[in-house]
Amino acid sequence: MSSKQVAMVIDLNKCIGCQTCTVACKTQWTSGEGQEGMWWNTVATAPGKGTPKNWENMGGGFRNGKAQPGKLPKQTEFGDPWEFNFEEALFSGDQHATLGPVGEEPDWGTNWDEDIGAGEYPNSYFFYIPRICNHCTKPACMEACPRGAIFKRDEDGIVLINEDHCRGFRFCQEACPYKEIYYNTVSGTAQKCIFCLPRVEEGVATACSRQCPGRVRFLGFLDDKDGPIYKLVHEHKVALPLHPEYETQPNVFYIPPLAPPSFDDEGNPVDDKRIPIDYLISLFGPEVRQSIEKIKAEREKRKRGEPSELMDVLISRNWLDMFGPFTNQPQDVAKTLEERARG
Amino acid sequence: MQSLNVANIGGYLDPASGEWRDVPGTTVEMVPAPLGLQPTDYIIASWQDRPYGEVESLLASSVHDGNRIAIRLDWASARPNTGAGEGFPDAAAIAFPVRGEPELMQMGSEDAPVHFLQWMARKNMVRSVLATGIGLSVTAPSIAETVAAGWSSGRWTVVFTREMSGTSDVSSLSPEKNSQIGFAIWNGANEERAGIKAVSPAWEDLILRA
Repeated sequence: MSSKQVAMVIDLNKCIGCQTCTVACKTQWTSGEGQEGMWWNTVATAPGKGTPKNWENMGGGFRNGKAQPGKLPKQTEFGDPWEFNFEEALFSGDQHATLGPVGEEPDWGTNWDEDIGAGEYPNSYFFYIPRICNHCTKPACMEACPRGAIFKRDEDGIVLINEDHCRGFRFCQEACPYKEIYYNTVSGTAQKCIFCLPRVEEGVATACSRQCPGRVRFLGFLDDKDGPIYKLVHEHKVALPLHPEYETQPNVFYIPPLAPPSFDDEGNPVDDKRIPIDYLISLFGPEVRQSIEKIKAEREKRKRGEPSELMDVLISRNWLDMFGPFTNQPQDVAKTLEERARG
Repeated sequence: MQSLNVANIGGYLDPASGEWRDVPGTTVEMVPAPLGLQPTDYIIASWQDRPYGEVESLLASSVHDGNRIAIRLDWASARPNTGAGEGFPDAAAIAFPVRGEPELMQMGSEDAPVHFLQWMARKNMVRSVLATGIGLSVTAPSIAETVAAGWSSGRWTVVFTREMSGTSDVSSLSPEKNSQIGFAIWNGANEERAGIKAVSPAWEDLILRA
């Protein structure tokens, strides 16, 4: 266990599935050779098969403290990178040409099952679930690596892969129950989300958090009692880890989605339980009941005009309040670093 | 096994070379590397019900010319796996004790390291590696190692060559002293990598003929 632990809380009630976080991460970190099909941040529709396809059935993690075998995810399950007909669609002068993937018809990709969800109209439902590496307190990847190439930083709990030691054996990919590790076939090494380490070290929030137009992602240290993470995870107990039964103790937490009303045969709203509670329990554990009830109660308080610290935190009127100690502006840090480099 | 003294190993670099026909081979029994020695609980849990290291034996032969030594391995492999893309490659290694009395199965220790040359079918490459225990290996000094490999009719044949002189981390080989050698084979089609492999259970004597 690290002395300090950075963590993220993702409010699923605010995520609109715009993928801005995904693109922010992609442009920041995975534009290199062999990273074409890599998405260290994904946003999938739930219920759905996710990325990689059916990752929740691929094993790994722990059960009663014992390491569980996992399946090695294939690149096709993450989704092969597609080639696009940019030349034809944008520069050929053919006004009927449309932009699209070329080559073999793809049958899977990240966010492939977008907005499909589940349920029968008018009681169909879905919500978006952004995912990154969970920088677990008990990382199954780290425990699986025979070379000790994965480590957890004491100062912030960020889990990193030392690519100089990595030999591409990929036991980490199998062991991670969230299947958040990719294999770079060019470098022959495993790669994954680094929690924007170079930004965080300079007090700048992660790219996915800062770029989010929905103010969905909170950042901070788990033990910072004045920060949003502590309040949401420990004080109000409304933010929950995804699949706690994998026993890796993730440090990315979720505010569960409140459901819209169900409709009866006449089209009248009858309750607010359109998302089956059993499904939410399967994702976030039984604590999801209390979390939802707490959020609903606090919402009602605000409706009555009463104060609610929880609602204030979740609404996050002051954008930078979301980021705990990581409120530095990237442009200011860049300027400081340039000045430092110039001596 | 014996290493015959020849005028020049140049004619033996190709594993398919007819020169090897006159070099007697030694059959080396191979066993799966013990599951209990695998370095992480995850690897043990994920391989305890899965067969691996099923290459039962290999045929090893060797020649030297006083400066360089060539070691040829020949083993059954239903089909070649180069490990292209995200696959795992077929691979083989020859190991030498560096100093002390290292346990081959344990990949040596800090005081008694093991030096090995590992060939991988991916890019047909060879690496010089120093191990001081399971999971503890680093790139070793080059000893002008080369490798050539070919697969045909259900068998891989691989010829390793290296200088006979050593360094502080690479044992020297000479006709004046008895040496030892160990072997490992990885079947890429079975996702074998790291400690999941077939190994020779103990060091084999390597006698260089003067």
